[in-house]
Amino acid sequence: MKTSAILGAVLYAGAAALGMTAQAADPVTITIWCQDDERQPGLNLAKEFGEKNPDIKVVYRQIHFDDVTSEAMRAYSTGQAPDIIAIDNPEHALFASHGVFLDLTDRIAKSAVIHKEDYFPGPLASVTWDSKLYGVPKATNTIALYYNADMFKAKGLDPDKPPQTWDELVDAARKLNDPAKNVYGIAFSAKASEEGTFQFLPWAQMTGGGFDKINTDGAVRALTIWKTLLDEKLASPDTLTRGQWDSTGTFNSGNAAMVISGPWELNRMSQEAKFDWRVALMPVPEVGAPRSSAMGDFNWAVFKSTKHPDEAFKALEYFVSQDPRVFPDWGQLAARANIDIPSTGDAKKDAAVKVFMEQLKYAQPRGPHPDWMKISKAIQDAIQSALAGQATPKDALDQAAETIKGILG
Amino acid sequence: MRRLFSSLVDGRGFDLCLIGVPLAFLIVLSGVPLVYNVVMSFQAVDMFSLGSFIRPWVGFDNYRQLIAQPEFWPIMGQTATFLAASIAGQFLLGFALALFFWLNFPGASWLRGLFLVSWVMPGLVVGAVWNWLLSGDFGVFNFVLHELHIISGNVFWRSDPNFALWSVVIANVWLGTSFNMILLSVGLSSIPGDLYEAAELDGAGAFTRFWTITLPMMRSTIGALISLGLIFTLQQFDLFAAITSGGPNNSSNVAQYWAWDLSFKQYDFAKGAAISVIMIIVVMLASVYYVRSTRHEVRG
Repeated sequence: MKTSAILGAVLYAGAAALGMTAQAADPVTITIWCQDDERQPGLNLAKEFGEKNPDIKVVYRQIHFDDVTSEAMRAYSTGQAPDIIAIDNPEHALFASHGVFLDLTDRIAKSAVIHKEDYFPGPLASVTWDSKLYGVPKATNTIALYYNADMFKAKGLDPDKPPQTWDELVDAARKLNDPAKNVYGIAFSAKASEEGTFQFLPWAQMTGGGFDKINTDGAVRALTIWKTLLDEKLASPDTLTRGQWDSTGTFNSGNAAMVISGPWELNRMSQEAKFDWRVALMPVPEVGAPRSSAMGDFNWAVFKSTKHPDEAFKALEYFVSQDPRVFPDWGQLAARANIDIPSTGDAKKDAAVKVFMEQLKYAQPRGPHPDWMKISKAIQDAIQSALAGQATPKDALDQAAETIKGILG
Repeated sequence: MRRLFSSLVDGRGFDLCLIGVPLAFLIVLSGVPLVYNVVMSFQAVDMFSLGSFIRPWVGFDNYRQLIAQPEFWPIMGQTATFLAASIAGQFLLGFALALFFWLNFPGASWLRGLFLVSWVMPGLVVGAVWNWLLSGDFGVFNFVLHELHIISGNVFWRSDPNFALWSVVIANVWLGTSFNMILLSVGLSSIPGDLYEAAELDGAGAFTRFWTITLPMMRSTIGALISLGLIFTLQQFDLFAAITSGGPNNSSNVAQYWAWDLSFKQYDFAKGAAISVIMIIVVMLASVYYVRSTRHEVRG
């Protein structure tokens, strides 16, 4: 008696479940994976897209930054990939080159919303593989030089003339350095992670180097300057193990006079920093040398395995159409040059954003290369062994170049 | 039928069930992943072939390439240092604390319980806290050492290649001491008190009693503890991620962190698996030694 009751319950539950799936199969379901929470664009835009399109059911899954790539790979290899993913830009090529992402070139060419020419060259290059477009830049960021204008004045430097060249930068760091007051001349990050590569690569690029020619004379000079900053204690020795966020924290608290970091700091800095902070373009090797900077942030991409490419692309079009809101609502910078940045009511912040928008024109992607993480590791190892004094900058970069040559084949 | 049933309820069948259930559990949750890992270390694993089991066989190539990397031997050496220093530190401090609380002063059991708080904390949290404590410019650890006149300038625990590994050792010793203490306390309380009384009557001093009664009676506890310590220490990964990320320049990198870095940062899953296999062999050798060295004991 009891058994049949349980059996009956199970059958009923099964039937109910079947009925539910039959109903749910009706609207098209689009799955979106992204690391954004409710204070960031991804989640909000996905929700809005679902509300505006009752015939499309949007399933949003928030994935922690560190897990995005490995989760995506696992899901793809077991046939459970989402329709849309937000992926960190240096990882984009890995997926694009393996034919995992949908080629969007033709759709973008026909689109009334997404225009290739709107984008900054750096972010656009990161979604491009083999001259085809495999995604759309979601947002972008770069690094520039923050400086404490009050400290500049106190040390007799002109706060309206921030350092323009590397030599001026080292010079300013020497003058601003004040161990008695626990003030370092400059802060940056040379951590053994992607952050270290992110900060160093622009220096190499400004001298004509790059990940594929990392041991040029200019790159060696750049690393030598980094080493000078550490050897003379113009930057904290913890630069080697500290990320950009923590390094900038020391600037905000007045323990460093300058810091190299990105626009993601703007909100925190305008709340925490109780001094006149300003932003300048990254100093260049010498006057007139080409500019460069790092390029960060995520891209949208559609998995090739999607059953609803049209709806997925429609979602991307909606996201792109909302690009003008990305800065005012969520404090991120759209990867497009044709978007006006409205005033935030904070003069320091407004001035800083202008500098970052200028710096973005020179931002270059890391790679793109499918084995980017291995290349990056070689660069990190070179930075770290040189700064820790275990190899000369030249030897360290030669070693990295050798390793990278093996990876590039 | 009836015999089978009665054997299942009370007999050989019941015994087999008791063994079979945990055995099946172990095979599914440990054995299969273990074998999978070993197989993977002999294959060329592309990140997009992660889901399939059949992949090109490359023999010992992964191992050969791994050993040829310049950081291989330094990392193995650091792993050994980390193991030895962590286990020794945790055990000695834990033993000292256990003996201290064994004195049974008022509130001893309370305090002993409170000590466990450190062990209950997740490794990443412990790592983040020690990350601040050990920070060079404004770390509390440096401040304390400075006030005690042990150091004159700041020591950059995380960023100086000479200290980076030790900064993780310090955090790990702090994390594991209380667990050692609790297990050793249990071992201590199981030693019959009359042994000590008899020894005292025979005129044995405190040191002799410790050397001839406490230590020998604790032998199996200590053996088990050190084997567990070996396993826990080889699993210790969070602290590295939170404090040094293996840097600077791999000077605080150890096998377990390297395996993770290779697999999930550089997506070289095969080499990551190869390191894991090397680690499995080390642990197996250690456990064989442990089992053999305690085999003659009758435990009860």
